[in-house]
Amino acid sequence: MSVLPCGPADAAFAEFAAFAAAVPALPWFAATGTPLTATVIAAAETYVVVLDLAPCPVAPVGGWREAAAIAQRPDWSRDWWQAENASEQALQRQGAGRLGLEPLLAALTALTEISTGLHEHAATALAGAGLADAALAKVAAGAAAQACHQRGLALLAGDGAERAFTAKFELFAAGHWPLGIVGGTCFVF
Amino acid sequence: MSAIAAAPIKSVDALKAAPDEYRMAVRKIVRSHAVNELYGARVYDEPAIALAPTPYLKWLTCRIAMEEYGHHVRFRQLGEQMGIPESEMTPEGRKPLSIFEFPLKTWEEFCVVKLLADLAEIIQVEDLMKCSFLPLRNLAKVTMPEEIFHSQFGKDTCTELIKTEDGRKKVQAAIDRYFPMMPAFFGKRDSANNALYRKYGIKQRTNEDMRADFLKRVRDLVEGHLKLKLPEVAEAA
Repeated sequence: MSVLPCGPADAAFAEFAAFAAAVPALPWFAATGTPLTATVIAAAETYVVVLDLAPCPVAPVGGWREAAAIAQRPDWSRDWWQAENASEQALQRQGAGRLGLEPLLAALTALTEISTGLHEHAATALAGAGLADAALAKVAAGAAAQACHQRGLALLAGDGAERAFTAKFELFAAGHWPLGIVGGTCFVF
Repeated sequence: MSAIAAAPIKSVDALKAAPDEYRMAVRKIVRSHAVNELYGARVYDEPAIALAPTPYLKWLTCRIAMEEYGHHVRFRQLGEQMGIPESEMTPEGRKPLSIFEFPLKTWEEFCVVKLLADLAEIIQVEDLMKCSFLPLRNLAKVTMPEEIFHSQFGKDTCTELIKTEDGRKKVQAAIDRYFPMMPAFFGKRDSANNALYRKYGIKQRTNEDMRADFLKRVRDLVEGHLKLKLPEVAEAA
């Protein structure tokens, strides 16, 4: 990865590298269970609307057990998950066209290796809530790693075209865990 | 072939002074794990994210895929230190195990793969935890807790799935599909490679011994715990 940007690809990789370097230091899961600020609610609303989904209420989640239960409800929105997938696929095509598939995947793989460490943050947050749940820590870490991947992909695709994953990542970066759309509500833990 | 009682080899640097056949034996094991961990993540874990029935299980599967990939990275890094070309540590460069020729179709199949294949992996890694090449022993120790979690995930999800008649049938069908491939996972009877590994204390157990251990443990799980049937298969590869 080039250190000094001199073209669109170098600039994209430089921005991506800065993003990846910042990932470990973010306050992952530090605000879970706390009231949602107006900024957080606005980011969640943006996330939903930019995915081209019907606007829906944003609701807080009180604790880890409740978060786990929400993430296992059968009435989760398939449209929400598919909209994310469709955006990812579009971004991958765009990014591959811009940078080449192999360099794109190599950069994303490096990011995945960095985001492996997010499990520690999830386990620490759970321990802080008095819980020892190895599976739930891995679930939270998986969700956070997915958000890193999506945000990284958006950066590499360029043009600031993808706002949904930016908004989603803002929620994680603020210490929350967006649980997606379940039963017509966008839950943010 | 009798075992050679030698002092453990403590580092990659010390490996350079080991006999040629010792070095080649360690290279084979490291290469095999690097290839198969990556292929498993690609063929089973990553596709299973789309098949998982809830966001909770999708994210958990995402994490499991990362951990399996992480195992590949650890073996690959050790291989790089040992001078193994990177091209020999990916499925593109080396032939992976035959089980990977049967890609996933359903969520139930993924849960069964975790139940069966990760138990087989645990038995292999348990053996490496006494390996005479200490970097490999240490790597096995680091990897083991995640392998145990993945196997437990297979047990827990299969236990949940068989609560319905439809789920029970699907889990049984997945066992019928994947179990026949498992005995070959442990290699051939009277394998020359395995004899070499044991000669130098790189591995402790014969392929037959590990296969028999697997069959006993998997029978306890499938027939004892899940109350399902294991198909009849030839136990020797």
